[in-house]
Amino acid sequence: MAEVATTGTADATVLRALTDMVRAMFPHPSFPDGPYERCAQTILDATVGDLRFRTQLHQGLRDLDSIGGAPFAQLDAGAKLDLLRGISNTEFFEGVRSRVITSLYDDREVWSLLGYEGPSFAQGGYAQRGFADLDWLPDPRIEEAS
Amino acid sequence: MATAQSNGHTDGQGFAVPIESASFARDDGDVVVVIGSGAGGGTLAGELCQQGINTVVLEAGPHLTGPDYENDEWPAFNQMAWLDNRTTSGSWRVAKDFPNLPAWTVKAVGGTTTHWAGACPRFKDYEFKVKSEYGGGLDGANLADWPIGLADLEPYYDKAEVKMGVTHRHGRPALPANNNYKVFANGADRVGYTGYATGPYATNAEPYDDRPASIQDGFNFQGDKNGSKWSPLVSDLPKAGQTGNLDLRPECQAVQITHDSSNRVDGVLYLDSDGNLHHQRASAVCVACNAIETARLLLLSASPSHPDGLANSSGQVGRNYMRHTTGSVYARFDQPVKMWRGETMAGIVTDEAGHDPDRGFAGGYYMETLALGPPFLAAFVEPGSWGPDFTAIMDAYERTAGLWITGEDMPQETNRVTLNTGVADEHGLPVPNVHFDDHPNDAAMREHAWARGEAMYDAVGATGAHRTTPYPSTHNMGTARMSERAEDGVVNAFGQAHDVANLFVSDGSQFTSGAAANPTLTIVALAIRQAEYIGEQVRTGGV
Repeated sequence: MAEVATTGTADATVLRALTDMVRAMFPHPSFPDGPYERCAQTILDATVGDLRFRTQLHQGLRDLDSIGGAPFAQLDAGAKLDLLRGISNTEFFEGVRSRVITSLYDDREVWSLLGYEGPSFAQGGYAQRGFADLDWLPDPRIEEAS
Repeated sequence: MATAQSNGHTDGQGFAVPIESASFARDDGDVVVVIGSGAGGGTLAGELCQQGINTVVLEAGPHLTGPDYENDEWPAFNQMAWLDNRTTSGSWRVAKDFPNLPAWTVKAVGGTTTHWAGACPRFKDYEFKVKSEYGGGLDGANLADWPIGLADLEPYYDKAEVKMGVTHRHGRPALPANNNYKVFANGADRVGYTGYATGPYATNAEPYDDRPASIQDGFNFQGDKNGSKWSPLVSDLPKAGQTGNLDLRPECQAVQITHDSSNRVDGVLYLDSDGNLHHQRASAVCVACNAIETARLLLLSASPSHPDGLANSSGQVGRNYMRHTTGSVYARFDQPVKMWRGETMAGIVTDEAGHDPDRGFAGGYYMETLALGPPFLAAFVEPGSWGPDFTAIMDAYERTAGLWITGEDMPQETNRVTLNTGVADEHGLPVPNVHFDDHPNDAAMREHAWARGEAMYDAVGATGAHRTTPYPSTHNMGTARMSERAEDGVVNAFGQAHDVANLFVSDGSQFTSGAAANPTLTIVALAIRQAEYIGEQVRTGGV
């Protein structure tokens, strides 16, 4: 097992283990590996200034490979979810979950995958770019009822 | 010199108007000191300056302008949100999910108008007299009637709406329908509602007040780089600067209001950006720090002669904290919505904003369009959530429509801002603790509103909907309430402290009850009215 606790840097094993965990927690069929890997890397980078989370992560990732009776990566999707539900009240799990929320969905590729267009001011907003292009409902009244 | 308005410009980087600042001496005891530069303080300072009164504005946050703002939710939040440590207690879910973020307010020139969306409903007449109107059956609610009524405020609502360029009012045109509104309004229509429209909303549909029309960029929660949304930052304060009567001091945080031996305040102790402590003398002090910090500052200003905090002989400072009964519905459809395009909250349904006890609760609520980007939707749609149910919500992002509920919540004495003497801020001062429990009336209203919001979306073909729990509070009210009698509240009908004649509260803290309406318009109207009163007091020697 790689040493998150002693070096604070990610080697490939740790990064892979955390990436697997993040993907199992937040399964998006349309997402390739890149967003999950960047998210895991962001979380690992943040351990440098957070000793408590670094220690939790060190032991927690080891536990993932033992609790399910097989290495986490070898479990099927359902078994991974069951395992994660079983530890979802732990500090380790919540530490990872809360950090995923603020990093995975703050990723430009993820925005694009979800259809979100990001900053718009530099392009003049949407005034001329479809702020009202929804066409499957009639145009409603905009004035107040008289 | 050019006028302030004509100096405003959008050069591709964002709208900015310079604010000329005078420099009054710290030992000048003739100035009025306004603490806070948001809807209350910024408006009040502007009005005082226009009357020729020298005014010092102490603003804890930096002077950000359009070019500084970011079209990116987390960087914008980290740039402007009030992130000083706070603590929470009580049964509200925010205390579990966001224990150090009870409120989502702004620390910058312009205050929380930097973040507000722009919805501008007025209070209704009955909402000023809820104790009389609601009767009994609301155990635990500390209801009181306001010492003013709608008729007192109507002329000031008019002035506020003209100042702010509110759509649908005084000849200002309506904003067009955006995608999120199309779903919302069609749903409202199909369930039989008639009170839907794209406003009233304080963002320009056409150029007004030397500010441009909305470009529908979808980022007015992040400061509105285009300057189309009213705020004191782009309107009142630049104009006030032109009078020569404004001394604006950003990054100056008030830490104690000082008083003399004759029960009058005489200045403010504040920290500058380097942490140096200064004393600014004052003829009057107006507190407009948003309800949590206003209460905190009055409590921090305790002294041997005001042992429970300044202006707190009633014991009501910090109590009756209200945050509105809120929540959201995010509904999924088969076809694209793209809710993030366009004005964030330019859509309102008024049909449930009335007192109809047959619904099982007192008071009413509005529903308003609301859109978040993926970063914030992930953080707030179901705090603590993960797994396939959560990712299904996110995967439907492009096909999602959203609305927000804002309704009257019950004032309760135990919902309260106190000083947490066990936790110090970066300066060593006790942080505020915000305690909140829903009143059963609040919970009943929220259930009703969630169901009605879902019904609207079901009526236009939603394939699923999620009921989102209240976000950290953006509407903070009641912690220094108005009252007829000194023993029942903190300030009188003009926001003047019952205990201290030259001390004023100038923000939503003075609300006796919360009403259903988004509070900004009423805060602005009260500030205009208060400025007239203070002006008279200054001229007649009362202050």
